[in-house]
Amino acid sequence: MSKQLKTRYSQHFFKKTFFKQLFIENSHHSNINKTDSSVCILLKQYLHTLLTELLLMKRSLGLWIMLLAVNIVFAQNPAKVTIKGSVVDTANMPAPYPTVMLLNPTDSSLINFTRADEKGGFEFKNVRNVPYLLKISLISYQPRQMLLPAHEKEVNDLGNVPIKPISLELMEVVIRTAKSTLSIHGDTIEYDASTFKVPPGSTVEDLLRRLPGIEVDADGNIKSQGKDVNKVYIDGKTFFGDDPKAATKNLGAETISKVQVFNEKSEQAKLTGVDDGQKNKVMNLELKAEYKKGAFGKITGALGDQDRWAARGNYNRFNTKEQFSIIGFGNNINQTGVNWEDYGEFKGQNAYNDFDSGDFGFNSGSGMRFFYSEGGGLTSYFDGRGFTKNFGGGANYNFDNGKKSKLNASYTYNQTDLNLDEYSFRQTFLLDTSFFNNDTLNRGEFRNNHILNGRLEQNLDSNNVLIVKANARISNQDAGSSQSQFFSNSLEKANNRLSTDNDSNRDTWALTSSLIFRHRFKKKGRSFAFSAAFNQNQNDLDERFTTINRFFTANTFTDQIRQLNRDNNGSDEVKSSILYTDALSKKWFWETFYNFSQSTSQNQRRVSDPELNDQLIENLSLFSDNKLLYNRLGSGIRYSHEGVNLSVGLAALQYNLHGEFSRDEDQPLVAPAVDRTFTHVTPNFSADIELLSNLSVNTSYSYSVVAPRFNDLRPVTTFNNPAFRSEGNPNLDPELSHNLSAGMYFWDPASLSSMGLSMDYAIKESQIVYNQVIQSDDELGILSITRPENVSGGRELSSYLWMNRPIIKTKLSLSVNGSLRFSKNPAFVNGVENETKSDGGNISMSLSATPNPKLIFSLTGDFNLTNISYSIQESQNQKIRNTGIDGNLKYQFAKKMFLETNLDYNIFRNDRFDFKQDIPIWNASVRRIIGKANKIEMRLAAFDLLNKRLTINQNGSANYVERRISNTLARYFMLSLSYNVRGYENKLKKNNYW
Amino acid sequence: MKKILFLILLFCPALVFSQPMEGRIRYLVTRNSAKMMASLDYMSKQSRERMSYMWGNRSEWKTYNNLYFTADQTKYEDSEEKAEPDAEGGYSWRKEQFFLKRDFAKSTIYDGRTLMSKPYIVEDTIANQKWRILNDLKEVAGHICMNAMMVDTLRKQKIVAWFAQDLQHSGGPESFHGLPGMILEVDINDGAMTLTADLIEMKKLANELDAPAKVKGKKIKQVDYDKIIKEQIKQRMAEEQPWFWNVPYI
Repeated sequence: MSKQLKTRYSQHFFKKTFFKQLFIENSHHSNINKTDSSVCILLKQYLHTLLTELLLMKRSLGLWIMLLAVNIVFAQNPAKVTIKGSVVDTANMPAPYPTVMLLNPTDSSLINFTRADEKGGFEFKNVRNVPYLLKISLISYQPRQMLLPAHEKEVNDLGNVPIKPISLELMEVVIRTAKSTLSIHGDTIEYDASTFKVPPGSTVEDLLRRLPGIEVDADGNIKSQGKDVNKVYIDGKTFFGDDPKAATKNLGAETISKVQVFNEKSEQAKLTGVDDGQKNKVMNLELKAEYKKGAFGKITGALGDQDRWAARGNYNRFNTKEQFSIIGFGNNINQTGVNWEDYGEFKGQNAYNDFDSGDFGFNSGSGMRFFYSEGGGLTSYFDGRGFTKNFGGGANYNFDNGKKSKLNASYTYNQTDLNLDEYSFRQTFLLDTSFFNNDTLNRGEFRNNHILNGRLEQNLDSNNVLIVKANARISNQDAGSSQSQFFSNSLEKANNRLSTDNDSNRDTWALTSSLIFRHRFKKKGRSFAFSAAFNQNQNDLDERFTTINRFFTANTFTDQIRQLNRDNNGSDEVKSSILYTDALSKKWFWETFYNFSQSTSQNQRRVSDPELNDQLIENLSLFSDNKLLYNRLGSGIRYSHEGVNLSVGLAALQYNLHGEFSRDEDQPLVAPAVDRTFTHVTPNFSADIELLSNLSVNTSYSYSVVAPRFNDLRPVTTFNNPAFRSEGNPNLDPELSHNLSAGMYFWDPASLSSMGLSMDYAIKESQIVYNQVIQSDDELGILSITRPENVSGGRELSSYLWMNRPIIKTKLSLSVNGSLRFSKNPAFVNGVENETKSDGGNISMSLSATPNPKLIFSLTGDFNLTNISYSIQESQNQKIRNTGIDGNLKYQFAKKMFLETNLDYNIFRNDRFDFKQDIPIWNASVRRIIGKANKIEMRLAAFDLLNKRLTINQNGSANYVERRISNTLARYFMLSLSYNVRGYENKLKKNNYW
Repeated sequence: MKKILFLILLFCPALVFSQPMEGRIRYLVTRNSAKMMASLDYMSKQSRERMSYMWGNRSEWKTYNNLYFTADQTKYEDSEEKAEPDAEGGYSWRKEQFFLKRDFAKSTIYDGRTLMSKPYIVEDTIANQKWRILNDLKEVAGHICMNAMMVDTLRKQKIVAWFAQDLQHSGGPESFHGLPGMILEVDINDGAMTLTADLIEMKKLANELDAPAKVKGKKIKQVDYDKIIKEQIKQRMAEEQPWFWNVPYI
């Protein structure tokens, strides 16, 4: 039995026996004389004092009830009492206007309060006669509290109640200057020493010298309020014996969070419990809970059949200012990167970046607060084709001191080894005929990326911010592919076979860097921003080509070409932007911007013949030296007020393109230099309106101008594959389009339903398309020549709808997503305009149910339809249908055991070719969490149990329709073991957002 | 003349002491959603830690609110002043109905609120708040304040308030009231949300205490308002989602 309980028990016993006696006495003497009653009162007072003293110490409910009981039993007290007194200072002078409060002694809760008069006099009239904690508060004085038992008379006059002043120094220096909180515990005043600034490297002694009320002499002896401090505790414990200087001279000031000075009872008093009145000044130094720091991480290893394996791990360390993390992964199961969740933790506070593009003006997306930072190479997407072996890793460092500086630096590396076999079928339509391709591709590729990333944000002062950031990437891609293309004029009969072997090696260096400076003027709403950027790209490609063209028709002959290509492309870009914003009024703003960029690029393609001593093949080689100058000046006004945000503006832009083309560097130009200047005026409008507090609509219009690319402007023909030649067109004009968008968003917070609709429409005034001339060629079989040209009449409409709605609150919810796309793109085939229309739609519905916390399942149906029609050959119009059904189940079937399974059934159809393929993919896994802290997880997983996985892409555009089928990783089993420092959650995860 | 003044001062001590209790207090309101998340014990520890690791300092946003007061009335509402300078292209959100009026003489409340996009008018009498008076002193906006604490059982919040020793008023920001001095600072759940007075102007008010010309919504009592919140919190708990995206944090 604890000490407290014992005390309580004995009190209880005492009370009981006492009551009994009292009762007996009372029954014996029905007339209680006055002496008896005064004894009673005395006794009651004694009990009261005892209990209330205990209450002050222990604050237990039991004691409080007893106190109440005592009052009830001795019910002679008047029901109401008037409590009065006069507050005086230590010199017995009236202390004017203190606040006097009556608190409940059990929990200090406020019952009543009053303001005393100028003589410190106060009075609580006719309050309930129960025990109170009387608290007096007056500025510059220590709050005083005293316990008042219920009073036996109607007036409880406390007389003079003295309060002690807080020294002026403490008030001025500690509270006002250092903004420190004073904590008062009885006689002890404590303040937060960490708010007193000392230079780095100072000792506690240096800190103490700065603290008001504390003196430190030359020898290091400490005095507090004139009295010697002869003991120093660290966190309440003695430090290096009894010499107080040992601690203060050796400890660093930065380790201390609090300095307390209080009176300690003498050893004698501690021993006997009897206060002998002897007190020592004692100092306690409370150590900082050091920076709030921690670490977490997890590691997973997995092995499967067919030599499948996977491993990944991450480790993070952090304190209040810094975050450091490392991550790594490797596998041969087509995981080319880590998932977003792991990447987010890797980047920490830089997983989301403030939007800080330096390209000011329309269409620069300002106003958006956060966006996901790029995944670098670590979240690279796998397109589902082939087999890959992957490795990657990285380190990240974040610094943020909450006010002035933010720094992020990271390095990541990733590599992928790909092995792909792909079959593709393609039908190309001509005016009244068509031809077919049956191609196979085998490709082996090794690619890797080193990415270095840095960003620094410095608040120079409250009105000036500087952001500097840079991203550098070094990549290498080493690939070998062999492609075999069967050309035929009908489905049955092959015409010729073109085999191409290509070994290539590409080295890429890319640097983007920028600096953004923002200044706010004193006038509200007026600001200035400047940005400068430098970007560099170097792209070197070596290709070794061998093509063999074999004809199956009568005049059979075989043609073989071998060539070496060497491409060296480099470009430098310098950009700068200025933005000036001013508030015309509270609601109207005016902004003006200027953008400038200049990029120079040199592209060299050297094609040589390995059979002729690598001699340059002049008519296939090209060297170009290009310069692009871009200037844009714009201005607009904006209205922003209570949910109505409108902006309208106008900009003038100019592109200057200068391109020189020769067969090789330092050779004469093959044609006069291309010199083009394009000037356009572009209007811009946007509106974003919250019609109701849960309904918003938006619409926008912009006019876009995209300059033609130098490669399309070249005045000569180039080709790699002799059957596919591409011409340039020096007379190309920019692509121009009117872009309209509209959208709306509705939500109902009460039911948690939401709905959205968005629509984008582009009217292409001028569009660069690749017109084709396809002809029979005696040497090549079928020869395609493409040439870029401006056409008008293209249209594109896309719309998107989504809706979420709970059907049964917290148990069953429905979500619907749908999209519609219409596009019309003209292009010329052998001189005849072919308009390819592609109309498609997609609808997906998903039901998800959580009947109880141990079971979650969902069912999703997905239907895609694309209609493609060709104006030159309507008989070739296609209907491509893909349908998918996906069922998902998560079940916690035992305390720490989980079953997760999903079945994804995909149906691919193309009626025109009688193409049917069903692909059911079934995955299942069982996992178990092990250990007291749930830190270990074991999982047995089966992927593609039915062994059916294939990747199918169906699409059609321009004058062809295509279907590609690639093999990829099918059925495998895996056993994995994971360790998580933070532990695994021992329940099903409902949300993945947090 | 001096004698008369002296006599007036002698007999009317209130005059000597009191400055006119009328003016405006501007509160800097800081919300930290990572800390709000941290106090939701029904969410998994992993997800709370993840949120605070990834959002940390970014999850803080600041606004200004105004409290207008006379000797026995207050009105609390959003301020048009912006506490954080927003980037170019600042977006202006639709304003929701929000004002809280208190009359301590009549002991009445008259609040215009918005809950889940619906406006409400809360009319009721002032309810007692169970403050515990503690022992710390600190300065807020030039006034020495004592601290008090209470627990909001509806939202499971620990509320620490600092009230001025020398501003005798029962008012405070949001719906906090009932202390012997004006509440100048409130801290909810250890920094998840803080309201700190950063400007106190003693001045004669014009019509700042008036309710807006248009007050919309269904008239309800405080208990009904609290009931809606309770229901929402219960639902969000079942879904293991933070509740404070849907209903105000205080």
